[in-house]
Amino acid sequence: MAWIVEDRLKAYQPARNEPYLTAKIKDEVSRKYFPRYPNKRAALLPLFHLIMHEYGYIAPQAIDEAATFLELTPSQVQDAVTFYEEFRLEKTGRYVVNVCRSISCELCGHQRVLEKMREIFGIEPGETTADDKITLLEVECLGACEQAPCALVNEDLHGRIKPAEFCSQLQQLPAAPGHSTTDDVR
Amino acid sequence: MAYAGPVLLKRIPDDPAQRKLYRYADYIATGGYASLKKVLAMLPEDVIKLVVDSGLRGRGGAGFPCGTKWTFLPKDLFPRYLAVNFDESEPGTFKDRYLIDHDPHILLEGIAIAAFANKISTSYIYIRGEYHHEAKLLEAALAEAYEHGIFGQKHPGTDIVSHCYVHRGAGAYICGEETGLLESLEGKRGWPRIKPPFPAVAGAFAKPTIINNVETLACLPAIVEHGAAWFKTMGTPSSSGPKLFGVSGHVNKPGVFEEELGIKMSTLIEKYAGGVKGGKYRAAIPGGVSMGVLGTDQYNAELDFDIGRKYNVLGLGTAGVIVMNDKTDLVVMLRNIVRFFAHESCGQCTPCREGTAWMHKILNRIVDGFGQPQDFDMLAELCLTMGAMPGTTICGLADGANWAVKTFLQKFPEDFKSRLKSRQVQGVAGAGVA
Ligand SMILES: Cc1cc2nc3c(=O)[nH]c(=O)nc-3n(C[C@H](O)[C@H](O)[C@H](O)COP(=O)(O)O)c2cc1C
Ligand code: SF4
Ligand code: FES
Repeated sequence: MAWIVEDRLKAYQPARNEPYLTAKIKDEVSRKYFPRYPNKRAALLPLFHLIMHEYGYIAPQAIDEAATFLELTPSQVQDAVTFYEEFRLEKTGRYVVNVCRSISCELCGHQRVLEKMREIFGIEPGETTADDKITLLEVECLGACEQAPCALVNEDLHGRIKPAEFCSQLQQLPAAPGHSTTDDVR
Repeated sequence: MAYAGPVLLKRIPDDPAQRKLYRYADYIATGGYASLKKVLAMLPEDVIKLVVDSGLRGRGGAGFPCGTKWTFLPKDLFPRYLAVNFDESEPGTFKDRYLIDHDPHILLEGIAIAAFANKISTSYIYIRGEYHHEAKLLEAALAEAYEHGIFGQKHPGTDIVSHCYVHRGAGAYICGEETGLLESLEGKRGWPRIKPPFPAVAGAFAKPTIINNVETLACLPAIVEHGAAWFKTMGTPSSSGPKLFGVSGHVNKPGVFEEELGIKMSTLIEKYAGGVKGGKYRAAIPGGVSMGVLGTDQYNAELDFDIGRKYNVLGLGTAGVIVMNDKTDLVVMLRNIVRFFAHESCGQCTPCREGTAWMHKILNRIVDGFGQPQDFDMLAELCLTMGAMPGTTICGLADGANWAVKTFLQKFPEDFKSRLKSRQVQGVAGAGVA
């Protein structure tokens, strides 16, 4: 949340010449999202969803570029972006496994999912496997409590998880580097 | 009380194998959009009156009368917005997702009805970021609705074109609070606003705005079709109509079930959710973790909007019932709930930001065996300083945390006290704070 301060040094990255906001992204926002709202600022969330979808994380440079594009100051954009947990400022593994830790999932054994992940992949929540394939995160209720324990793998919900089966499914996913979108998981 | 069969779930059979997604053509074939057609021939005032008469109360948590909320819009201020609350992040709540997974058009019809009645220009469906699948379903359903003139047309008798869009959140519970939602819709951090001004006067983009939950709007087509009197035949005098109940936790058949308001929790658990799993019933949360806990002797509590007054909980909330059996460690469960609030507090108000964080620390040390004798009273005192809306905080999150902790302490004191005592006897009280 907003008041949990991010370490800015960790987020440091050198600038690159090629813009993060590609013509394609800008075009989609201009065509599809600007007309929906009375001002440009309101397109901030849709814009960063597109950036997340494209890169899997948000580079500091993307924040500056978005500010210019939305006619805001970089601090206004930073202020909003850092508030939302789904907008990650650090690179992750190709598959982000968001295990729900809220009450119904704890009642139904979310700990066993985490233990199995630790056993098979050797990672704790917040960590990424050495081959950059899997990042494990704990999140709050995913709104799928009838399927507890559950997890969101990138954009796909996995419910009624059997820990061993779930981990072997993850092992079978292709391991090529770089971030993925939901299409790879299907 | 006479429950007239599934109303909201009429297109969703009990048998999972037979469930399917209703697209536009399927929806029309099963009587869909007939209510909208009927409404467009009515006067907007008469539609509002119908909703007032039906006694429909908000399904998003607060139970505020829907029709009354609509009458708060100032007469001549335009444009007006409708924000549909599909943030659904309260632990234990998944009813809206289940409905949209199969029947997205029931929501769109409800939105179109509300938009006509209130002369709304743009309706935004604010959906939580984690609902990727549902966002795509709604986008597809909206494309169909635009194609068939449900949206993109002028409200009859006006120059106002009715639009509807999906707006995705990005992982913040507090954006379910109505003014946090509006901030998030405007592209800012989801910090709840100080009221007044109320959203009906100055909401989204400083214009008059109505905020309604998905299920509230999904009730509208049936109310139009069958009338206010019919709607009132279900439920109790103060809580009319059908309701979606989500049941999760220690039950054999967790899921979403529809019944009339006022049914007993025991009936819901035994008749619909397959009974308690792994032991006997011990405790349950009636409607999302903000509502507090029902005790072992409150198994037969009637689930309606009067539950708060009768059973010492905050209210019905989202009607997401979380069941715990007699082998559950309630201290660990309360720690889970409080960690949720500590994590999701937006940090604007000191009592909420600090109170939830400290209660989490205290519960951590109790669970770890380092609870101190005064911790029980300390938790109770922290609750008092945080909660009791209106007063110390901007929004209701702090009060939710207050009720959760307070009711656990009141209804299950021994679970906590026994842990503190045992450490005291062993003479290690005072050991480190986490
Ligand atoms: C902290 C907090 C979180 C909330 N989360 C939600 C939510 O996820 N979904 C929802 O419909 N209402 C939520 N509400 C209630 C809304 O503020 C608002 O009362 C509701 O959307 C109004 O719609 P209704 O009158 O149709 O129920 C929340 C309230 C608070 C205080
Ligand atoms: S009560 Fe808590 S969540 Fe609500 S505005 Fe205040 S700090 Fe934020
Ligand atoms: S508690 Fe895990 S999905 Fe709701």
